Amino acid sequence: MTGKGTDRRRRSSGGDLVTRGGAATIVAPAAAVVAVFLVFPALWTLYLGLTNRGLTGINAANPQFVGLENYTTALSDPALWNSLQVTFIFVSGSAIVGQAVLGFTLAWVFRNWQSWVRRALELLVVVAWIVPSSVVAFLWVAFLDGESGTLNAILGIETEWLLRHPLLSVIVFNTWRGTAFSMLLFGAALNSLPPSYLETSRLAGASPLQQLFDIILPSIKGYIITNLLLISLWTFNDFSPYLITGGGPAGATEVLPIYIYNESIRFGELGFGSAISAIMLVINLLIALSYLRAGRSRS
Amino acid sequence: MAGIEISEITKIFPGEVTALSELDLSIEDGEFFALLGPSGCGKTTLLRTIAGLEPATSGSLDIGDRDVTSLPPGDRNVAMVFQDYALYPHMTVRDNIAYPLKVQKVGREARYGEAEKAGSSLSLDGLMDRRPGQLSGGQQQRVAVARAVACRPDVFLFDEPLSNLDAQLRLEARGFLKQLQKDLGTTTVYVTHDQGEALALADRMAVMDHGVIRQVGTPTELFHRPANVFVAGFIGSTPMNLIPGVLGDGNVRFDGGVLPLNGRGDTGGEVFYGIRPEYITIGDVGDISGTVAITENLGAQFLVTVDVAGQLIRAVVAEGSEPATGDTATVNPDPDRVLVYDRESGELTPGAGYH
Repeated sequence: MTGKGTDRRRRSSGGDLVTRGGAATIVAPAAAVVAVFLVFPALWTLYLGLTNRGLTGINAANPQFVGLENYTTALSDPALWNSLQVTFIFVSGSAIVGQAVLGFTLAWVFRNWQSWVRRALELLVVVAWIVPSSVVAFLWVAFLDGESGTLNAILGIETEWLLRHPLLSVIVFNTWRGTAFSMLLFGAALNSLPPSYLETSRLAGASPLQQLFDIILPSIKGYIITNLLLISLWTFNDFSPYLITGGGPAGATEVLPIYIYNESIRFGELGFGSAISAIMLVINLLIALSYLRAGRSRS
Repeated sequence: MAGIEISEITKIFPGEVTALSELDLSIEDGEFFALLGPSGCGKTTLLRTIAGLEPATSGSLDIGDRDVTSLPPGDRNVAMVFQDYALYPHMTVRDNIAYPLKVQKVGREARYGEAEKAGSSLSLDGLMDRRPGQLSGGQQQRVAVARAVACRPDVFLFDEPLSNLDAQLRLEARGFLKQLQKDLGTTTVYVTHDQGEALALADRMAVMDHGVIRQVGTPTELFHRPANVFVAGFIGSTPMNLIPGVLGDGNVRFDGGVLPLNGRGDTGGEVFYGIRPEYITIGDVGDISGTVAITENLGAQFLVTVDVAGQLIRAVVAEGSEPATGDTATVNPDPDRVLVYDRESGELTPGAGYH
């Protein structure tokens, strides 16, 4: 194993085909594009976060360097802590519990069904995924509407869902929208399991639950971590609850991206918004690192 | 310990594919029984039906004195070793071997004890804390066998367990499997498409084709007296010569001459003259002569193919005595070893041949 590994490393660093300079030349155009569209905006955001730059007015024309003032203001702002809390509930509720658990359950339940039934169901779920967010948001607004919403009509009651259960509403909305991805990924993971794994445990007399916890979940741990990493980052950065509730009522659904949008664009505090973006960037990195760490410990 | 009684087992897969057709088979207690056949013949389906992984469409199956036809796999007390070994990559060797015992709620101490014992009987000492990914193919195969051994089943089921090993290891593994089975005395059903493996391992074996059993017997019986041309062609490292001819007065005539028979007086009828390449000698004198078409080096022996009036006849000769390609040579079958098959039905006709 190790012998092979070092061998491969030696071969690649030896550079049989191209020299290091040649390789750099080949990569340069792509690196330039990445630099212009990713690295520069990120650095620019970090810089803006240190100024009092505004969207309009004097601070737009002549921003002042304010050091870490934006950060100290943000960290003492209850709205930021509220937003972090809302985001945490939104991510764990809609991504981890909603999309991942529901997606796995669907994949698990469908796995033994006739293939055409499975295809049809998968198609249905994927449609929910590929419909644009704005359309889905509109559908949910119509569905949850207090006066003429479909849900109330079905239940025969009149509830202002978006006002009485705003966070739950956006969690259900995001779960509905994103479950397809988890289902497809877990479906592929389950398909990749050799049938003999489960047959061996069936021969030993394992119940379906024992099979699930002893064999299936540990065997697809890598897929689970990758999936959780992707969907929690996507959900963490997701702006679409804005399309349903606008972040309200009273900040009840003001996830971090909406908070930043409100501060930067609606209130015109570009510098302040940038500082929070930088905080968000750090949280993103922490999420990614923790998953990667969990993934590495598996072998 | 238990024998297996299979009666009129039929398995039809969705789409009207008949994998097993009213199959009867009885396997003795403690026997090493091989199921041999080409791919798609139903041998693996039969094994999986015994395991309970495939429910039989009809028929009944007894293991020991229990009717297990409708029991789930976990209640049949059988253990199976799969072709891909089915070792769990996230468990250590010890946990893999102990897993069936864990499912059966055997305490931690007891099941690790059993695992150690099974492991060391298969020379896995020192590997117990490794993961399957850190083992060689041969070691993985032994772990899979140890897992089957540890739960002390009534029956071992092997599904081509050696086919992922290289030739050298396969020979070694074959030896220890046979030894292990003799030591444990557990009834064993072993599926393979390799006739050499079946001959080497089995106490008795069955040759299957298209969901039916074509012949059951000891390896010696099947090698010396294949009951039909299918078995004749399947068993033996070089297939039997089946020369189409007409049964004459104590011999078989074909375009290239007259082939000798012993102990048969009947005449008439289109037959195959069956003779193993090992029982033909090549020489300068004799009635049947032809041109040497191909010689193949088998190591200590040579496989010589002689073209006799358009009919290719294969013979195995000792190294050093092989003719050169293009030479003229005579073909001399040993009349005591000849088997005569009816050409229409493909069945062995009584009389001539080795008994």
